[in-house]
Amino acid sequence: MHIVRKVTDNLYWIGVNDHRLTLFENIHPIPEGVSYNSYVLLDKKTVMFDTVDWDSCRQMMENLEYVLDGRDLDVIVVNHWEPDHAASLQAVLSRYPNAEIISTEKGYIFMKQFGFEAEGHKLTTVKEGDTTCFGDHTVTYIEAPMVHWPEAMITLDLTNGALFSADAFGSFKALDGKMFSDEVNYDRDWIDSNRRYLANIVGKYGPHIRKLLNKALPVLDKIKFICPLHGLVWRSNIDYLLDKYTHWANYEPEVKGVMIVYASMYGNTEQAAQALAAQLSEKGVKDISVFDVSNTHVSYLISEVFRVSHVVLASCTYNLGIFPPMLDFLEDMKALNVQNRTFALIENGSWAIRSGDLMREFLDQQMKTITVLNERVTVASHAKEDQNVDFAALADSIIESMRS
Amino acid sequence: MQFRVDEAHEKFREEIRAFAEKEIKPYAFQWDRENKFPREMITKLGQKGWLGLPFPKEYGGAGMDIMSYAIAIEELARCDGGCGTIVSAHISLGSWPIYAFGTEEQKKKYLVPLAKGEKLAAFGLTEPNAGSDAGGTETTAVLEGDHYVLNGEKIFITNGGEADTYVIFAVTTPGIGTRGISAFIVESGWEGFTIGDHYDKLGIRSSATAQLLFEDVIVPKENLLGKEGQGFKIAMETLDGGRVGVAGQALGIAQGAYESCMAYAKDRVQFGKPIAFQEAISFKIADMATNIRAARMLVYSAAEMKDQHIPQGMEAAMAKQFASDTALHVAQEAVQIYGGNGYLKGMDVERFYRDAKITQIYEGTNEIMRVVISAHILGKPPKKETPILASSSTSNVTGPRKKIVMKKGTAQEKVDALVENLKADGYDFTVGIPADTPIGEAERVVSAGKGIGSKDNMKLIEDLAAAAGAAIGSSRPVAETLQYVPIERYVGMSGQKFRGNLYIACGISGAIQHLKGIIDASTIVAINKNANAPIFKNCDYGIVGDVNEILPLLTKALDTGKKKPAPPMKKIKRPTPKKEKPPYKIMVCDGCGYEYDPMKGDPAADIPPGTTFERLPEDWTCPDCAEPKSNFQEA
Repeated sequence: MHIVRKVTDNLYWIGVNDHRLTLFENIHPIPEGVSYNSYVLLDKKTVMFDTVDWDSCRQMMENLEYVLDGRDLDVIVVNHWEPDHAASLQAVLSRYPNAEIISTEKGYIFMKQFGFEAEGHKLTTVKEGDTTCFGDHTVTYIEAPMVHWPEAMITLDLTNGALFSADAFGSFKALDGKMFSDEVNYDRDWIDSNRRYLANIVGKYGPHIRKLLNKALPVLDKIKFICPLHGLVWRSNIDYLLDKYTHWANYEPEVKGVMIVYASMYGNTEQAAQALAAQLSEKGVKDISVFDVSNTHVSYLISEVFRVSHVVLASCTYNLGIFPPMLDFLEDMKALNVQNRTFALIENGSWAIRSGDLMREFLDQQMKTITVLNERVTVASHAKEDQNVDFAALADSIIESMRS
Repeated sequence: MQFRVDEAHEKFREEIRAFAEKEIKPYAFQWDRENKFPREMITKLGQKGWLGLPFPKEYGGAGMDIMSYAIAIEELARCDGGCGTIVSAHISLGSWPIYAFGTEEQKKKYLVPLAKGEKLAAFGLTEPNAGSDAGGTETTAVLEGDHYVLNGEKIFITNGGEADTYVIFAVTTPGIGTRGISAFIVESGWEGFTIGDHYDKLGIRSSATAQLLFEDVIVPKENLLGKEGQGFKIAMETLDGGRVGVAGQALGIAQGAYESCMAYAKDRVQFGKPIAFQEAISFKIADMATNIRAARMLVYSAAEMKDQHIPQGMEAAMAKQFASDTALHVAQEAVQIYGGNGYLKGMDVERFYRDAKITQIYEGTNEIMRVVISAHILGKPPKKETPILASSSTSNVTGPRKKIVMKKGTAQEKVDALVENLKADGYDFTVGIPADTPIGEAERVVSAGKGIGSKDNMKLIEDLAAAAGAAIGSSRPVAETLQYVPIERYVGMSGQKFRGNLYIACGISGAIQHLKGIIDASTIVAINKNANAPIFKNCDYGIVGDVNEILPLLTKALDTGKKKPAPPMKKIKRPTPKKEKPPYKIMVCDGCGYEYDPMKGDPAADIPPGTTFERLPEDWTCPDCAEPKSNFQEA
């Protein structure tokens, strides 16, 4: 049975919601699922924009056949060749042997590498600025290298203003019936999923997002719909979304807030983290979050780092080094290009307290433009009553650095 | 070689010696005492054609050789060390790089009048953080269309303020050390180019030495000397080539001191005979003569090699090092032979003694000479242990600072923003300390620099100090030269150290020695009309503006009537400064996300650290995915 939604006249969403997948890319937990978005345009020619992951192929095929309503499929535009979007291409090609493929040069290299069989199909290579007319609708192509794969492009329908944005503007979380951003409470239910997707999947490539945003600016008034490959379709409030992306792509925090991440073996470092959180709150800081690095998936931590201005790392010393999950978190922040943040450190240890110096060294030398506050709290095994002044001083220093 | 100068050169020596005896010797004492630049004498030297001695006639020079040049400097210095300095700085340092690296147009426009002696040249390399290590150069030249915009300062510049044509070294590509330096020809009188301090020197006092300040000086593109990035090479070759001149000068000083004390020793009778014939003195004379002869051999030999186009970098360094050591030693012994008389002003040996010292220091210290010599002998060390990272030129004398400089808005808005920040930092302006609290004990100081202007304006400082509850301090020139405040109130490395919380610097540009005196200040506030003044790189809060306008407004904003006595000082902690982005560009690949970091280079492709992305070969490709150079963009 088909499950289809209309985006605008002659343009249909034929994607699939997936709640069965546990780990996106086999790494990021998606407890609220994910959607694979595919779209079909009915013009003089019938045009499909990307497909879905293999497990969702059957539903997509039912949707496609329903929308085509007996017509043949003329064209498939493949904006992005990652298997969660291209895996079902082979099934579509088999069912519609006359379909022409439109993609970038690098896209076809990936097609061959992934082993797609396109014998008998016309392969049209497009590059930046090329246009194709499908009847009433003319589309243009914009290369989007490293957002977040090198072959990616986005396609703009100049007639109805639909922007098929590939993984740009994508989000975790299944649509579950809704489709437009104005059909949900975005700030309450969606932004965290949107941010977690962006930060973890595309976070490393801020410069490339900026490049893409700069290309989009001159044609902004032409964009009426943003149709990404995951998550909500945007038809209103697009400026709001662009503003968020500008922050993320420039690695600028969205809010002045403090995130405290602790690594604690027996609860002593956890206590230190809580003590600081209480001091900060007492002193008037409004936006404070606390995470246990050992039982919080790092994708959530990364997402929160992209949101807030200040990060406190509290770690015990382990094998004379940083507690391994905390080190993983640091490595992930480095890989995802986290920068322009202020960090504060709490260290703990029972004989040789090393974690503070090591975390500082990592932040100073491995990462870009990270300010580490000089004030640091050192706990020997368990914080003493008189150390409250240390936590107060650290809180003051954090608050001072939030000024201006 | 017959280890003797030929007849033609000796004839030239006689000519120039006669000139020096007549035009320099009688006036040398006066010039030294009054710190007076001998403009007339220089004009006469120019008329003789000697200010262009080694340059070809087609460029207005005398077309003579380097040997003649060395002899000329020697003979001038034999009468007055300072005159040797003026001429060698003009010829070797200021004019030579234009001759060697200039385009035909540059030579016609600049070298010809210099060589003819119609104009005077100077060479601007040294900076507060770039002495022996030119890699620390902080003066910048930014290309904007058809011109460069020059900003920064140069210190200890010989002929500074007297010269018409300056060869100035500035950074055109930041963050990559000496390879980012370029040379420019700058004319005196260009807008934004001013002369700062004139130095009160120990010796060579007839020569002028000054600080050069550049504030948004427009330098036409055609005044770039050589190519961009060639500056360090030009500077080093100029200094190498000029060494014979300094060596000649040192030799002349030694010769002058030697002749003077020998005459005195033959004349002065003690124990029944001239002291020259006392063994103690005769041995000194023997040693002096030996050293002078050895120095002369080294100097002339290097000059002769240069005339024959034989590489002589090492030999010139040996000559400079040995001749300058000899000059100081000979001059010192000459004073000794004169005894008490030699210790008095007016005696030439006293002047020679002071003049000699600089020859061990400038145009490459004698320590650097040994670096040059040993490098010629031993070559490069086997392997560099670590790649040289870009000089962290962002580090300040006063340590990390907030550097919140208010440039825009009205004066009132800037003052309001400053006061708001100070209050947020915890300053309580209802309490205060007496204005005469010793600097070392003061919690707050309001300090005046030369930018304060006339003495009447000290009233502004006094009013502000009263309103801020602060003691009064000053920069060194304000206490020492202008004498607006007692000498014990100047703040600096050589003066009083400020260890309190709040330091408000008014009209202080921020010489290193001053900044070293306020390293421990919790908060530094700078008020100065020159946005490029070093004090702004060393402050927490700055206001770019005229003290006449800002100080009354600030006084008004801080005034709370009579101050309550301040409680015992509690040191305010300095906040951690925000980390700044590096000054160089990191480029990221469109094909894979690889980042090219100029500090790392690309060792696999033999690209050394310090290579900017622009300088990568055109056929360079991404080491991870082979994407061409054109598919990179700024990270």
